[in-house]
Amino acid sequence: MEACDTEEIRGADPCMKLALQQAKLALNNLEVPVGCIIIEDEKVIASGRNRTTETRNATRHAELEAVDILLDQWQKKGLSNVDIAKRFSKCTLYVTCEPCIMCAAALSIIGIKEVFYGCANDKFGGCGSILALHTSQSEWSTRDEVSNGKGFKCTGGIMVSEAISLLQSFYEQGNPNAPKPDRRPVHNL
Amino acid sequence: MPSTNGNIENEGYWKIVHIPDKLPIPPHLQPTVNVYASIINPKHANTLIRKLNKISLLEDLHHVKRICKRCVEGNVQLLMILCLASHDSGQLEDMPSEIAELIESYQLSTFITKVSKYPATSKEDWEEQCKLWPTSYHPPTYNIDGITGFSEENSQSILEFMKSAVDLAKSVDGQIVNAAVIVNPTSNQVVARSCDQWAEQQSQASCFRHPFHHAAMVAIENSAARDRYLFPASEPVGDNCCQADFVDSPLTVSPSKRQKINTNVEDSGIQNGETSACGSTPARPYLCTGYDIYLVWEPCIMCAMALVHQRIKRIFYAFPNPNAGALGKVMLSLQLLELIKTKCKFNRRDALQIISHL
Ligand SMILES: [Zn+2]
Ligand SMILES: [Zn+2]
Repeated sequence: MEACDTEEIRGADPCMKLALQQAKLALNNLEVPVGCIIIEDEKVIASGRNRTTETRNATRHAELEAVDILLDQWQKKGLSNVDIAKRFSKCTLYVTCEPCIMCAAALSIIGIKEVFYGCANDKFGGCGSILALHTSQSEWSTRDEVSNGKGFKCTGGIMVSEAISLLQSFYEQGNPNAPKPDRRPVHNL
Repeated sequence: MPSTNGNIENEGYWKIVHIPDKLPIPPHLQPTVNVYASIINPKHANTLIRKLNKISLLEDLHHVKRICKRCVEGNVQLLMILCLASHDSGQLEDMPSEIAELIESYQLSTFITKVSKYPATSKEDWEEQCKLWPTSYHPPTYNIDGITGFSEENSQSILEFMKSAVDLAKSVDGQIVNAAVIVNPTSNQVVARSCDQWAEQQSQASCFRHPFHHAAMVAIENSAARDRYLFPASEPVGDNCCQADFVDSPLTVSPSKRQKINTNVEDSGIQNGETSACGSTPARPYLCTGYDIYLVWEPCIMCAMALVHQRIKRIFYAFPNPNAGALGKVMLSLQLLELIKTKCKFNRRDALQIISHL
């Protein structure tokens, strides 16, 4: 992402390629290869990859990693919650796999503008596969009124085969930590 | 009011209530589907079944019996389901050609009838279903320390842990916050505690609230941090650590086996900040497999899914959250629990609610 920091990028495919790079990075670290980038004003402002094995925290999905980077930055800059919400409402996320229910809910809490994803998440997908949290409006509001859940625009199917083949190679190469029954290719997350 | 839940301070106020994972439907209003059936000659029954099994599997209707015996004016009549009927119209156009051939060659007179769409979940449902067309009924086999009732001892400790969560929530001054306590039920040891972190931050006069640091999310991170602290080396784990969510893994080690392994870890004095002192190397826990979480407020959808990812076994909460709660809202709990049961092949999530019972 370094090279692209200042470059303007347009179109879904170039952005998804950057997300796929993050996924490859995850793969090299023996993580399930899912990656994402966040774009504001046509510039990449954050990236994230799955880090569940390393952290032993199964919630450290690419999306939360990337959003946390921004939250941290913006908090340090002294942005208020209102400012932060304004920033996220201009942000687009590209992620190689459909956000799970947890991530979709999280993206709805921060009020992201738009999400593009690669392959569907048949098991836990929160943007249509299992639940459709991107379409909900106030229903997902949390108790704290600052972070009301909002719907967001969501488009899947961007560079699907690349996303899937990464996942496939993960399960084919086998996780050295995995017991034998788990060492097989599965396309869904 | 009499309570079976022992001598806890708030006796009489608390009662353990199971949150069902299905919208309660009166037995007579169970959904049905239409099928084509026919009266058959008993002599042909076996042949027909063999043929039908090849051409018309009733995939989603495994609970429905293929053949129904009926007594009409003293005569036994055999009725058989041929295939699903997609319309109410009674038109035979939608019938597969193989079935049509079968009807032709065996001179079957078909009719449309209703059968229950889903397997019965209770005896009452089942009895009602059989009035339409016989189905099979398998009473639920799960009973991990009583979804249907907790032992006196378990109720005690469940209420104690919930009380400690409520106390934790109260400790953040004046604010309504959520608190979480993760417990290993086999050793009754607390694995992690937390509060809504934004609330703590706010009480420190910061205007920033982390939007995801709900109590459950923080508790998950705390339990992960504990794991990293206790098992710092990246030694191979006996499990497919953290990856199991991503694979369809019916063959992975059962939670009960994992639980036994984990007991070693829990008993090794971690709570006091000691590292494991026992001679044998304790096995690394597998996320929060087998653990319970106590939440003051019902988890939101984000937290509920996070708890599933982290392999929490049971969720207990004190107060329903009608706005953002993910488990009590029937629509959602239905979908979420369905998801857990069918998609993850996890143990059934035992969403329990401890409600105040005045
Ligand atoms: Zn996710
Ligand atoms: Zn939450």
